[in-house]
Amino acid sequence: MIWKGGVAGSMLMILAACDPAPIEPPLADAGSIARGKAAAQRLGCGACHELPGIDWPKGRIGPSLAGFGNRALIAGTLPNDLPRLAAFVADAPSLVPGSGMPAVPMDAGEAHDIAAWLQSQRD
Amino acid sequence: MRSETGFDPALYDRFPTKGRRPKGEEDELRRIWCKPKGWEYLTVVNNNYVGIYYLGTAFLFFLMAGVLALLMRAQLAAPMLEILPQGVYNQVFTMHGTVMMFLFAVPAVEAAGVLLLPQMLAARDLPFPRLSAYAFWAYAVGGLCFFASIFVGLAPDGGWFMYPPLTSKTYSPGINTDFWLLGIGFIEISAIAGAIEIIVGVLRTRAPGMSLDKMPIFAWSMLVFAVMIVIAFPSIILGTLLLEIERAFNWPFFDATRGGDPMLWQHLFWFFGHPEVYIIFLPAAGMMSMIVATVAKTELVGYRLIVLAMLATGFISFGVWAHHMFTTGMPPMTTGFFSAASMAVSVPAGLQVFSWIATIAIGKRSFNAPGLFVLGSIVIFVTGGLTGVMVAMVPFDWQAHDSYFIVAHLHYVLIGGMVFPLFAAFYYWIPMVSRRALSERLAKWVFGLMFTGMNIAFLPMHLAGLQGMPRRVYTYLPGQGLELPNLISTIGAFMLAVGVSLFLVDLARNFRLALDEGNAGNVYDGATLEWLPSALYSTRSIPVVRSPEPLRDDPKLAEDVEKGRYFLPGSATGLRETIVTSPLLAEPQYLQIMPGPSAWPFAAAIFTAGFFLALTVQAYSFAWVSAVLTVASVLRWLWDTDRKVEKGEVDIGAGIMVPTYVTGPSSHGWWAMVILLVVMAMIFIMALFSLAFLWSNQPSFWAAPPLGDAVLISLLYGVAFAAALAARPLLRRGPTWPVLLFLVSTLASGIALWLDWNGWNATGLGPEASGQGAVIYALQALEAFALAIGVLMAAYCAARAGRGLITLPRSNTIDLTMLFLAYCAAQGLTGALFGRAFGMP
Amino acid sequence: MILRPGSSLSVTSAGSGWPPAVFDPAGPYSEPVTTLAWALLLGGTAVFALVLAALGVALFGSAALKARLGGEKAIWIGGFAFPAVVLTGLLIWGLMLTSSLSATRVTGAEMRVKIIGEMWWWRVHYQDAEGRETLRDANELHIPVGKPVLLELETADVIHSFWVPRLGGKMDMIPGRTNRLLIQADKPGVYKGQCAEYCGGPHALMGFIVVAHTAEDFARWKASRVPARGEQGRGLELFLSSGCAACHTIRGTPATGLAGPDLTHVGSRQTLGAGILPNNPGTMAGWIADAQAIKPANRMPAYHQLSAEELLAVSEYLVRRK
Repeated sequence: MIWKGGVAGSMLMILAACDPAPIEPPLADAGSIARGKAAAQRLGCGACHELPGIDWPKGRIGPSLAGFGNRALIAGTLPNDLPRLAAFVADAPSLVPGSGMPAVPMDAGEAHDIAAWLQSQRD
Repeated sequence: MRSETGFDPALYDRFPTKGRRPKGEEDELRRIWCKPKGWEYLTVVNNNYVGIYYLGTAFLFFLMAGVLALLMRAQLAAPMLEILPQGVYNQVFTMHGTVMMFLFAVPAVEAAGVLLLPQMLAARDLPFPRLSAYAFWAYAVGGLCFFASIFVGLAPDGGWFMYPPLTSKTYSPGINTDFWLLGIGFIEISAIAGAIEIIVGVLRTRAPGMSLDKMPIFAWSMLVFAVMIVIAFPSIILGTLLLEIERAFNWPFFDATRGGDPMLWQHLFWFFGHPEVYIIFLPAAGMMSMIVATVAKTELVGYRLIVLAMLATGFISFGVWAHHMFTTGMPPMTTGFFSAASMAVSVPAGLQVFSWIATIAIGKRSFNAPGLFVLGSIVIFVTGGLTGVMVAMVPFDWQAHDSYFIVAHLHYVLIGGMVFPLFAAFYYWIPMVSRRALSERLAKWVFGLMFTGMNIAFLPMHLAGLQGMPRRVYTYLPGQGLELPNLISTIGAFMLAVGVSLFLVDLARNFRLALDEGNAGNVYDGATLEWLPSALYSTRSIPVVRSPEPLRDDPKLAEDVEKGRYFLPGSATGLRETIVTSPLLAEPQYLQIMPGPSAWPFAAAIFTAGFFLALTVQAYSFAWVSAVLTVASVLRWLWDTDRKVEKGEVDIGAGIMVPTYVTGPSSHGWWAMVILLVVMAMIFIMALFSLAFLWSNQPSFWAAPPLGDAVLISLLYGVAFAAALAARPLLRRGPTWPVLLFLVSTLASGIALWLDWNGWNATGLGPEASGQGAVIYALQALEAFALAIGVLMAAYCAARAGRGLITLPRSNTIDLTMLFLAYCAAQGLTGALFGRAFGMP
Repeated sequence: MILRPGSSLSVTSAGSGWPPAVFDPAGPYSEPVTTLAWALLLGGTAVFALVLAALGVALFGSAALKARLGGEKAIWIGGFAFPAVVLTGLLIWGLMLTSSLSATRVTGAEMRVKIIGEMWWWRVHYQDAEGRETLRDANELHIPVGKPVLLELETADVIHSFWVPRLGGKMDMIPGRTNRLLIQADKPGVYKGQCAEYCGGPHALMGFIVVAHTAEDFARWKASRVPARGEQGRGLELFLSSGCAACHTIRGTPATGLAGPDLTHVGSRQTLGAGILPNNPGTMAGWIADAQAIKPANRMPAYHQLSAEELLAVSEYLVRRK
């Protein structure tokens, strides 16, 4: 399995390398990404979103967050950069009025980690 | 030597006879017991064919339920998977349990009995071949239709234990539950038919001289098995009947808001459900005892102990049912009793295990295929037995109950106690019916994979249970430490499945049916009669049995039997026949003429299945048509039976003369009828228990019974009883007399029942009003049903009398109708008085 | 593991599963059972080893050993005498333990709570010493440490079974009956429970938590159980107009539905959906909008018709119901 995945992964990387690669922001550090995933799980973001690598819950009310790192915009309006994503994750309504996503109590560190994790999701 | 029937045991010394048998004798046997051709494969009644069909079908259900198990394990491999959605999973786990218990385990051992018993007892066939055929077809057709419900999403989803109120109309409005209640209710009928057949077969068709203490252990185990079915199954038959009535007609047997009680179902279910485990285990243990001795090339150590242990198991197992209910809030006194009984029942199991170990110790070590499965079975079963003792401890059970610990426990018990012995039996007995034995080389792989896979699958479940994972969950939340044990279990389950698949490969490569002749024969050197050379008529002649292991003690036996030097070397009457012997010492009593192939049992089974299926899908007109056709088919099949035989007495070998037609208490028909009445009485007793139970638990809902009509009702039932009994002696004066008396009896019972009904009706208590009302009218419905059959039997007697088919001066048809009608009167009287005894002002 | 009450709890990580709950008792009604479980487990393993050894001797032992094993005497000893002695001892232990742990011994000093099983959640009715109801809540039970709690277990529909393995054994909830169970926690913390009797549909997701507080914390918690001041506003309006109130009660408002859990203090609960989701504005909104995606077949319909703004207003209102 791992071997297969590895091959598929490297194939993808080779293929991706042929594309005119969009300029992507560098990834945050691995620790931050891992903490972000754990925080998303603990906070139950899955109640509304399908989250990459998290089996349950798989909410359908919000958009799937798989491949979020490839997206240019947050909620179709804001540029997808780390500080803005972190702010949006913690308090969506203040950034995008009319968003159905509530403000979720979390500290700035958690918001940063979750944003880092989401941005690391690139297909 | 003592004698049981007046038969002189010295006559046995005439065997083996000297001299050549007349030419053509064997050819005639062959002609009479001929092979079916084409469509006749559907109408065969010979136990060899029916046994193989039966076993094959049971094994098919094992495979299908096994696939369901794999689906479940796939779903549980990781938390919150969606391989099987919730609703489907709930159907799948319900079907897995139900199919394994009702469509695989019980039928498989019953099938083994049908296939093996006549050979072991050297009978030509079981005493009621058409009944076997009916039981098989009813089971096969009904079971397959039932299973098919899962393909259309209509499979039951209330768990194999079907606890109300979850299974009541309110919480399970679909017909899924009806599939279970009607499907399983129907298959239970087939199990009972098989049990009656087996009891009479074991007690009355053993080879001459095979007294009970020389009987093969497997026959003992099947005897205990069948008696247990007769006692235990009525409880679940009544339970399913009541629940179906509650669902269909709103009679509140289990509805606590109207004076019913859901606990009543649990008692009815587990009074059947726990003995069921031993019902499955005992025949398998019987097989183990026989295989162990043969494989070790020695005699079984502790034969008497094992028989004693099996009897004790059968007895104690009826006192343990409430250990499934330790968490229902029963008082400590009650749980204490059931805890003690549950521990006690492990002692006879231990006795058997140590007998096997002792047998292995004195014998030769052998790791052939049956030997491996025997050893694996001991190891697995002991593990399950030990966890069984753990959960018999009430405080521990409070934790373990309904958790995965129990899932682990029960699979260790059932796989060790039933599946592995069955596989040992497959390897051991297949040479008896197949041209080639199975592969020893492949068997090592099959065993290795099954044994390892089984342990990898079920050992971690103990842990998952103690971690807090409840049973019957379609998924579990991540982060509770359940991921690893579940993943391991799933891997083990698939390993077990690979082992079973390899067995199928072996079957495909080596199993070639050879029932007639040319089977692989006695490859393991067994010492019991099934290893005599045989054909469709079983053995050429029926030997005199002088020891428990006749083939070992008399090396010439096989040859003498084959040369026709024993009992019944040919056909005495030109018909299918076997010797009926006395129950204890197996002294020859008479020659039973057996019915041959017939399409009617098959037709009756199809229509019975049609009836229940139509009821399930609520096609009522179709159901009634099927019911009428069923009754017609059964009557048509019976019509050929109980005929006068031309030769009144025949020579069954060495000049020993026995009658060909016997009536009264020593006839096999009488025995079967008495057992059937025991079954009916058990159903009725469980209904009476239901009334008493509801009365003691829900007294506030109780209405005062009518009392004034009790005397008249008793009088009428008394008349009905006496009239039925008078029929037998008065047959002497001509067949009109009994027919008239039967008319009087049914009429008197009918009027009494009507008075009984009227009396309750006048109190204003309706069947929908309360639990009391429901049970009272259910008692009357049971009586009405019995009486309807009684009327049918009386009419059948009248029809036969009209055609001159009643034999004089004694007739089995009249005898059996007499028994039935007398029973109807007694049952009606008991019900009427019992119903009035509770809640008298 | 122990979580500080009030800290944000993720149910999905409440308890790592190690040590197994049954071997990690937290009170006097589970501790003796753990001792028993260890004894049974070790004793059972020893007996298993003995049987294996006997089997090994039967197969590979010397002729003398085999001869000793191969007679009826060995069968009587191994199959009858030994189990009879061991089982009698066990039985006595079991009977004594059963009666000491049963809720038949009630002193009157216990805290009393009635818990009613529902498809697929739990009503929690706190009672005073006389059995009068003092407070309604759902899906979580708050208790003080060190004090026995007498639970009266009932059901509103089918049979359920109440099981918090670290605090005690399980007890069924059966229509027409009230079963009693004693539990007690000796350490503050959150203890996970789950329905143990198959009750159809999402039985697998019928969770529950017990939160044990120190005496002071418990008093504080109890004092805080007054309905939030009659807040008027869009959230409540929507709650009433969208049909939520048909099933849910919020004391102090016109919402008096009885079919679903009482939401008066829903914001203070640690879980949503009966012990399965953490409770925060995000999960609250997700649950309201589409509970069926999270817990299929439960009785709460999906509220897709709420606009984003309405959904936020309702969930914020509910989150404030502390």
